[in-house]
Amino acid sequence: MDNIVEVRDLVVKFGDFTAVDGISFDVKKGEIFGFLGPNGAGKTTTIRTITTIQQYTSGSVSIDGHDIKDEYLEARKLIGIAQQHISLDKDLTVRQNLKHHAILHKIPKKDIDRIVNETADILELREFMDHKVMDLSGGWKRKAAIIAAIIHQPKILLLDEPTAGLDTRSRYMLWDLVRMLNERGTTIFLTTHYIEEAEALCDRVAIINNGKLVAIGTVDELRDLIGQVAVETTDDSGKRKVHYFRTREEATDFAHTLTDRLYSVRKTTLEDVFLEITGEDGGKLQ
Amino acid sequence: MSILDETYRVAWGDLQYMWGNKIEVLLSSLIGPLLYLLAFGFGVGGTMEDPDTYVMYIVPGIISLTTLSATFSTVSMKVLVQRLFYMSFDELLLCPIHITSIILGKTVQGIVRAFISCTILLVVGWLISPEVVISPWIILAILVGGLMFSLLGLLAGILTNKTQNLSLFSSIVVVPMTFLCGTLFDVDVLPDAVAYAIYVLPLTHLSNLMRGIMLTDYSVGVDSVAIIFIYIAVMFGACYYMIKNNKC
Repeated sequence: MDNIVEVRDLVVKFGDFTAVDGISFDVKKGEIFGFLGPNGAGKTTTIRTITTIQQYTSGSVSIDGHDIKDEYLEARKLIGIAQQHISLDKDLTVRQNLKHHAILHKIPKKDIDRIVNETADILELREFMDHKVMDLSGGWKRKAAIIAAIIHQPKILLLDEPTAGLDTRSRYMLWDLVRMLNERGTTIFLTTHYIEEAEALCDRVAIINNGKLVAIGTVDELRDLIGQVAVETTDDSGKRKVHYFRTREEATDFAHTLTDRLYSVRKTTLEDVFLEITGEDGGKLQ
Repeated sequence: MSILDETYRVAWGDLQYMWGNKIEVLLSSLIGPLLYLLAFGFGVGGTMEDPDTYVMYIVPGIISLTTLSATFSTVSMKVLVQRLFYMSFDELLLCPIHITSIILGKTVQGIVRAFISCTILLVVGWLISPEVVISPWIILAILVGGLMFSLLGLLAGILTNKTQNLSLFSSIVVVPMTFLCGTLFDVDVLPDAVAYAIYVLPLTHLSNLMRGIMLTDYSVGVDSVAIIFIYIAVMFGACYYMIKNNKC
């Protein structure tokens, strides 16, 4: 089986409100899969459903072939998750939290200390192991939470907004960590609203808006949806407008017609795609 | 065996915290009950015609209320903080652990605390009133009482979404039980309507059970044992429903 996650026609409702509206997608083994969307789009609800802690209204989700409704204990063994909020016990030390995760995931007692120490060494957390979680900075808390999430060596690691609220240095530290984990064979499912994060890290990206999946593919495939080349213009009032073209020639021809405005011709970014899809009008591509 | 093993796995973190703060935990569990013993046993009891009988009477009552005070606030506050502020309660739901084990595991801290506090009080009670009977049944009663009030704490910790609500719950449920459920005086002296209301509360039956075991003039009421187990079953079921349906 090539897919580690298979989501089919997933619907999650809270009363009359539909948070996730019939989405379907797959996550392939070994990839870094990005899940992009504006605030309130349904990212966290989707990730909580995949991790079995959010009940869903209809549809199906399976993790490596295990249906999350019928085989939720099996599915949980394959999943690691670092939630949007640091979900470690702040009264305990980092070591105690990691050991507790190992115990909860039924790692044999004789192996726990070795695995905890090895993981801490690989991920350069050793010096903070005996600090209480509440005493760590935001970046190190987040790193400790990610390490706790992988202590049982899950097949897929789900990261919900892993760098939200972090400074640039901490963000790069976590990007390196995500790349390292992926190189070691862990599939990564990443939700973020930082577009440059998805662009830098992800093999494929899905975009969700108002609970619906509006685009999915590699960054290049998504850029193809609107055109690979952008012409950005600024009018006299300073208002910015972007026009998209399939080729640089088409873009240049258009630019030459702009005699009365400032413009620049550049490669389309994922941010352009995101804004086109999730823009104020609800998204041109929907 | 799987459930017991998983229960220990869930409880491990809370037990680590308890062990790291053992002095504070012990003092906070014991000061209140010892003050009750001093104030009511020697203070109020000293004004009575037969103070020794009254001291003997309240020892089982104070042990009963200690199972409540040592468990409820500890479990309810810990669960509330882990749910709302640390978000670490979610981690339990993400692990390959049965819901039954999560419920039992979260009660362990309360049961251990009740066991330690009540055992110390048993020794103190026996020293000041050697007529009380100490048998293995009293240990079982402490563990059952600890489980019952830990489940109450867990349910309160799951149901409430603000620390103020937890304080309110404590004020309208726990504090009245502490004083009115036959721990310090016989509920028969109360007006009938109040006595009936108090009869339905769990601490009344734990006090009856403790007296039946520890005092030779009292017997263990089958109704009290049955009501305690009904409370345990109902609160366990409520916790199970809340966790199963993601209402926590």
